[in-house]
Amino acid sequence: MAMILEVVHPTGTRTWHRLGDAPVTLGRGFANDLILDDPYVDARHARIALDETGAPQIEDLGSVNGLIANHTRLSGRVALRPGAEIRIGRTMLRIRDSDEPVSPALVDAIPAPARAAPVVPPAIQLRRRARVRATIARSARTTWARLLTVGAAAFAIALYSWAGSSERASANEALFAALGFVAIVAVWAGIWAVASRVSVQRFHFVAHMAVAAVVTLGGMAWTVAVEWLSFFFPDASLADVLSVGIGLFTLAALVAGHLSFATGFARGRRWKTGFVVAGVALSIGGLAALTEGDTFSDVPAFSGVVKPVGSEWLPTTSVEEFGSVMETLKQQVDEMAGP
Amino acid sequence: MSFHRPLLLAALLLCTGDLVAQSRSVATSEVFSRFAERVVKIQVVETGSAAKATIGSGFFVTGSGHLVTNYHVISKLIHDPDRYRAELVDVAGAVEAVDVLGVDVVHDLAVLGSAVRPRAFFSLGTASIAQGNRLYSLGHPEDLGLSIVEGTYNGLLPHTRHPRIHFTGSLNPGMSGGPTIAEDGRVIGINVATAGNQLSFLVPVDRAELLLGQVLTPGDRPPARTLEAVGRQLRDHQDAYLRDMFAGKTKMVDLGPYRLVTEPAPFFRCWADATRRQELPYEQVRHHCSTDDYLFIAGDQSTGVVDVEHEMISTKKLNSSQFFSLYSSVFANDNTPSGQEEHVTSWRCGTRNVRNASLPMRAVLCLRRYRKLGELYDGVLKIAVLGRDDSGLVSTLTMSGVTFENVDRLARRYLERISWR
Repeated sequence: MAMILEVVHPTGTRTWHRLGDAPVTLGRGFANDLILDDPYVDARHARIALDETGAPQIEDLGSVNGLIANHTRLSGRVALRPGAEIRIGRTMLRIRDSDEPVSPALVDAIPAPARAAPVVPPAIQLRRRARVRATIARSARTTWARLLTVGAAAFAIALYSWAGSSERASANEALFAALGFVAIVAVWAGIWAVASRVSVQRFHFVAHMAVAAVVTLGGMAWTVAVEWLSFFFPDASLADVLSVGIGLFTLAALVAGHLSFATGFARGRRWKTGFVVAGVALSIGGLAALTEGDTFSDVPAFSGVVKPVGSEWLPTTSVEEFGSVMETLKQQVDEMAGP
Repeated sequence: MSFHRPLLLAALLLCTGDLVAQSRSVATSEVFSRFAERVVKIQVVETGSAAKATIGSGFFVTGSGHLVTNYHVISKLIHDPDRYRAELVDVAGAVEAVDVLGVDVVHDLAVLGSAVRPRAFFSLGTASIAQGNRLYSLGHPEDLGLSIVEGTYNGLLPHTRHPRIHFTGSLNPGMSGGPTIAEDGRVIGINVATAGNQLSFLVPVDRAELLLGQVLTPGDRPPARTLEAVGRQLRDHQDAYLRDMFAGKTKMVDLGPYRLVTEPAPFFRCWADATRRQELPYEQVRHHCSTDDYLFIAGDQSTGVVDVEHEMISTKKLNSSQFFSLYSSVFANDNTPSGQEEHVTSWRCGTRNVRNASLPMRAVLCLRRYRKLGELYDGVLKIAVLGRDDSGLVSTLTMSGVTFENVDRLARRYLERISWR
């Protein structure tokens, strides 16, 4: 079991050093094995060496400020155990175990350009630079693609609004709908971007906007599909089942999409989280609808959607068959009225 | 149904302006002093809280304490006999219990019984009178004490199935059930409703005479006094009313490319109005038929039984997707009658794409049932004619307080009758 010396420098940066068999001297002087850039550290301040059992010990070499542990100055040789913290000047030393687990790597939108190698021949360096440039170019293209997605969604919103407008100024209306959409998506993506910054140190603002835009496009496509479906087949409950299923999926996709930029979660975990969130949201909505269904209302609920369809394409029933619809309704309201 | 509600329906619910400020002639004060004691205030009181629930007027019609009033004055008692009781308050302020002996929901009349033995009463009999004759209406407007209102007789309303006298005097809420009499004390009618501006309505006295006769000498059909019997009256009434509606030689009207039913019966009135405005990229034409007849069913629900409304929209400027979005919003417009939970269930609706002999349409039927009135329903049939990109027609048939058989029959006929021009 090897020991690791973690050094927390006065600037806050951390470095790590493996403690081997050879003694390690610490100090500000350049003759030391570990040079500490700390004005409160002596030129030759301390030494770490193994004792006869092979356990590391630290020893003050007669420094001005000494070694401090638990607010007391150490004297003589002191054994170092994993977890021990010792102050040297304004620098903190911590002993860690080399077997200690570390958190998984965060996912970066830009693939790491180079796996650090100590010495790189110039030719490879050139190639590597080209690769970095290519990566940057690719990421710029990705950004453009994402912005384009947002634009496409805004355009779809504008189109939808224009197609449904019976006002004179239908173009204005469409423009406002698109701008409104972009504003809402920007705010939404902003919230996620802040969350991402906290969690993975990057905003990914445009990526979050793109996620919202893609989901919006999907949702719109679905709305239109359901409208047409229920227009063609008004008696089918298929649309209800489908709309719940697709609603669940859309919501899960939204959450999973945002999580892929805001966390380091693996894909499976992202989708799992997405479905859990969507499931909870939909069950709350479903429960509300269920209790709503019991309350009295003197406003009838029916879909008033009609579509421009050539009458030869429209499946229709006869007036006679409509009679059975009325009969079913009678049974329903008779049941509600009670005996 | 915000559009041209039947006159009488609005009438009942509206408070009219101030009491008529006509100068009382000598004759008026004489009439008042001679007949005032025959008129009483009728109040329906909640048994538990002793709070007044309804106030109206009534008048003695026999020496043994029988009174006539409106059905709508005492309808709470019929709907909830355990919760309410009725009492009369005479001119001297004495309170006496009354009970309901018979009602006529169709004509909005009720005969009450009491233990009072009045010194004088109005005898009911067919009264003939010429238009323009002076009449005097007695009652308790807004619980302000017995008042007399002067007006003139203006004959029967032309557009009702059941006769209603048009009286130009200011009737106010609370005067319902009071008598309107001639100078000599002959009862001409019973105060029933007002549409404001001295436009008031009376039930002709012969209907009250008939009901009183039924109460005094019950034959094989005893007078109705329970909710069940009220439901039966409503059903009997509509069977005759609705049997031939929309069948055979129904009047049709052309609206744009559509041929539609109109004037379901001679006592219906139909209006049309068009909206053509420069700033709107479409035109709207409405055609609406209703009747001044109404039935007081329950709560504040009074209904004209059947109501027909057509709404055509057309455009030269909108594309088909824009037009159908507008069409959908017109179709989705809610124009169903309101209701209260204690009287009706919620609506249930069914939708189909239906094709009759002439054209395809989207048809929605919404149905709800009355909770206490036996097998009575409200049905609303809404239709949107399909097949054109530049014009559409939304047609609504509203049926209130009818049997399911009538809903079914009228809806089928209505669906069959719509055609291209």
